Amino acid sequence: MAVPVAEVLPPALPSGDLAAVGRLSGARRLLRSLEIAAPAAVLLVLLFSCFIWPIVYPVPKPTGGSILGAGLPMWSPGHIFGTDTVGNDIMSRILYGGRVSFEVAAAVQVIGLVVGGLLGMVAGYAGRAVEAVLMRTLDVFIAFPSLVLVLAIVDSLGQSEVNVIWALSAFSIPAFARVARAATLQVRDQPFVVAARLSSVKTWRILAGHIAPNLLPQLLTFSLLGAGVTIILEGALDFLGYGIPDPAASWGKMIASGQAMLSVSPGLVIVPSIFLFVTVVALNMLGDGLRAVWGVR
Amino acid sequence: MSGGTALLDVSDLRVTFRSHGGVVNAVQGVSFSVEPGQTVAIIGESGSGKTVSAYAMMGLLPRSAQVSGSIRCNGVELVGCGEKQLRDHRGRIVAMVFQDPGRSLNPTMRIGPQITEAIRCHLPLDRAQAHERAVELLRMVRLPTPERRFYEYPHQLSGGMRQRVVIAIALAGEPRLLLADEATTALDVTTQAQIMDLLLDLQQELGTALVMISHDLALAASYAEEVLVMYAGKVVERAATRELFGNVAMPYTRALLKAIPRVEQEPHELLPVIGGRPPDLSTIVPGCSFAPRCPDAQDDCRQEQPQLEQHESGHWWACWHPCGKEAAQ
Amino acid sequence: MTPATPVTPATPVTQADTAATPGSDLLLEVRHLVQEYVLRDYGGTKGGVLQAVSDVSFEVHAGETLGIVGETGSGKSTLARSVIQAPPPKHGEVIFEGTDLVRLPHRAMKSVRRHLQMVFQDPFTSLDPRWTVSRIVAEPLIAYSVGSRRERRERVDALLDLVGLEPARYGARHPRALSGGQAQRVAIARALVLEPKLILCDEPVSSLDVLVQAQVLNLFEKLRAELGLSYLFIAHDLAMVKQVSDRVAVMYLGKLCEVGPVRAIFSEPLHPYTLALLDTIPSPEPPARKRDVASVISGEPPSPLDPPSGCRFRTRCPRAAELCAAEVPQLRALGDGRQVACHFPLSGLAQASATRAPLPLMRGRAGASGD
Repeated sequence: MAVPVAEVLPPALPSGDLAAVGRLSGARRLLRSLEIAAPAAVLLVLLFSCFIWPIVYPVPKPTGGSILGAGLPMWSPGHIFGTDTVGNDIMSRILYGGRVSFEVAAAVQVIGLVVGGLLGMVAGYAGRAVEAVLMRTLDVFIAFPSLVLVLAIVDSLGQSEVNVIWALSAFSIPAFARVARAATLQVRDQPFVVAARLSSVKTWRILAGHIAPNLLPQLLTFSLLGAGVTIILEGALDFLGYGIPDPAASWGKMIASGQAMLSVSPGLVIVPSIFLFVTVVALNMLGDGLRAVWGVR
Repeated sequence: MSGGTALLDVSDLRVTFRSHGGVVNAVQGVSFSVEPGQTVAIIGESGSGKTVSAYAMMGLLPRSAQVSGSIRCNGVELVGCGEKQLRDHRGRIVAMVFQDPGRSLNPTMRIGPQITEAIRCHLPLDRAQAHERAVELLRMVRLPTPERRFYEYPHQLSGGMRQRVVIAIALAGEPRLLLADEATTALDVTTQAQIMDLLLDLQQELGTALVMISHDLALAASYAEEVLVMYAGKVVERAATRELFGNVAMPYTRALLKAIPRVEQEPHELLPVIGGRPPDLSTIVPGCSFAPRCPDAQDDCRQEQPQLEQHESGHWWACWHPCGKEAAQ
Repeated sequence: MTPATPVTPATPVTQADTAATPGSDLLLEVRHLVQEYVLRDYGGTKGGVLQAVSDVSFEVHAGETLGIVGETGSGKSTLARSVIQAPPPKHGEVIFEGTDLVRLPHRAMKSVRRHLQMVFQDPFTSLDPRWTVSRIVAEPLIAYSVGSRRERRERVDALLDLVGLEPARYGARHPRALSGGQAQRVAIARALVLEPKLILCDEPVSSLDVLVQAQVLNLFEKLRAELGLSYLFIAHDLAMVKQVSDRVAVMYLGKLCEVGPVRAIFSEPLHPYTLALLDTIPSPEPPARKRDVASVISGEPPSPLDPPSGCRFRTRCPRAAELCAAEVPQLRALGDGRQVACHFPLSGLAQASATRAPLPLMRGRAGASGD
């Protein structure tokens, strides 16, 4: 039997008595930190493996393998994950390919955060004409289905890792701008910003000192979630043949080229897929965990 | 302290919360009773434990709270009660009116259904009867044109009107005790007076007991029969209203009284006020919690905590050196 | 230049009054202030216009405190924001130290703002949660490029001391590590750092506990006495306003009802709304409830979107008559610095109720609107 909301749920716990008290019990607290620590640890391991490990340990080269060693199955000596159709060691392709995936994701997010964040913040703070012009311009980019837009850019610029980054940025900049603008609108009318204006603080100082620091938590969590999306999009590009040129690898590329051999050596697809999956899940979990800690919506 | 006929009998209530810093002792042994039809005010500042006590009486504390002691309401023991029993208790025996009427009401639901929902939860009435009863309740809370208001949304009403609706919902289950947690704090002065008058009139009509929780001492003085003053999770003074204000015992109560800006005061006069802040509830220090700030504190105050005792007829206090009384107890 | 103030021939309320009084130091003069909000309907079309402040005029003299009292919807906060031009009012003049702020170009406002500061109601949203206390208080100094870094630090420390916060202990803290009272002290320190002449206080103690409220009110008083400040003190609590003010203005639904010296307003209110406000103040002294029949206030406050014609208070006034619906009562001076906007002002109706012992009517102090 339903009990009226007004009776069971107090509208909001009052400040003072209860708000001063964290409602988390000991076990919950551990879980909360685990929510952040676990994915962070996973990501650190992956990053270490992709970027540092090959420098330290002699890993076979990801390209230029010999046909003689092609098609080796998993757990072969010297090739943990086996080799692909042209004899490249899959493990090292995973590691070097991971580099590419992470580089692209990081670059796209950074460009998006800096450029998009700046544009969004200025648009949100200035309002009126400036906001209208900026946001409508960015709307043009959002209006395109993301993949179509990205494909068009790569097609016109040519295939390379750098161009892929530019193309994906065209997608991330408007997204960041939107988030930054919305967050700026919330902060802009807070009394402490009004107080700063009342003290004739210069606008750039207000933006840099008051607005931007209060935007960062939201933008950072957004970037973590966006990183996962970027990796997948990059994979989609490879799948369609518009991604990174041969013979370089990325996880998406490996999945794309491996799908033809799915029945024969499923490992070619499964292994990079697992890495991709784990990475994206870890990024998402980390984003969610940080969002909970920072109280970002 | 507890008569056999008491409607609400709270005995040594203790509530602790676990938090990042450690344990917060929000309520440290509170005991009092409420007779049927009585008007009691619980006064305290933020952190005094008054709201937590009220929530404990309704069974509304979060699961991370540890409650011990006894709360007997209408003969039923509430501490350690199951959720089902609490649900029967809430609304039917005890109802609560919260501070912010803007958030107590569902903004997407019309007022009428919010009241009938509460009615049908507790009383075996069909839809038509519940509708009638709801309109009657709206009339009882002096909402003009109740039949029309039944179909309106909360945002179409003013703050005072919304609070009346909240009171109507609270009364839907015909409770024997009404808890008003800062029910008028968010309202204008003039509306506050109207709502308080309404509550008292309803009390007379329906025989409901009223427990008002507030930080406003003057409000308590104007409307309550008995006043409990809480500080740092404990009741430090309890007496009939007139007795409390005419014959203040606890230095904390006296400090509260003195600190209220009064209409009789001269302009530009400094208010007599003590410094400092309420203590941190995560640590229990020996001695009286108010001793660090008390202008009358002496050595024994810092060593042993005074208990709440009935030192004079109808007047309890927890102090070794109360104001204006001679020998230390 | 200024439109003639519409008043009855008896005693017009204009600048002439203040000019006539020698030695009066007129700090702020607000004339016919109007502030509106445009409400958007669905789809962004203009839904209606809410006149939050409607033709309000008053003065503040150097060294005095004007208390503005009003309930929700009275427009008092909007009034404060209009005075500091955030946003500027729709109509009217705000003359601060002889300069009309409304017509002032944006760049020139900077030099004015030094002398006109504001303290907000909620200290936790008026202080940047990411900044430390010292940085918060120093911000205005940096904006005006005052002094060297060391000089600024010294000034910040001096101010923190002045408001009762030990610089060594509190300077490096963030607002969330402070209590409400302490945070409000920081806000006050920040408002003082440029040595302003007039401080607008928008319900500065309403969100604080009783004892802390008293502490902060005492701080306001102390600063007023030591630094010779003037305040425009906005509150919804009449008793609080009495403690800090020299003169009081009562607002209802965007208009001024009554203005006058504080003791006079409390001992002999002229407007029925003022009397109602006084009567609803609960008193700790028994006998508790007093219901003055003449002052019973009925009904709900009307919507500010559609205020009653004529006198806005007439729908709740026990003395309302036909004239009240037909004609808007203007603010009229009645001598001794008192002004009231009512067709039938109370007079001699100040009962000696148990809590309001009648005080001798104060002669208009030098500097108040003269007679």
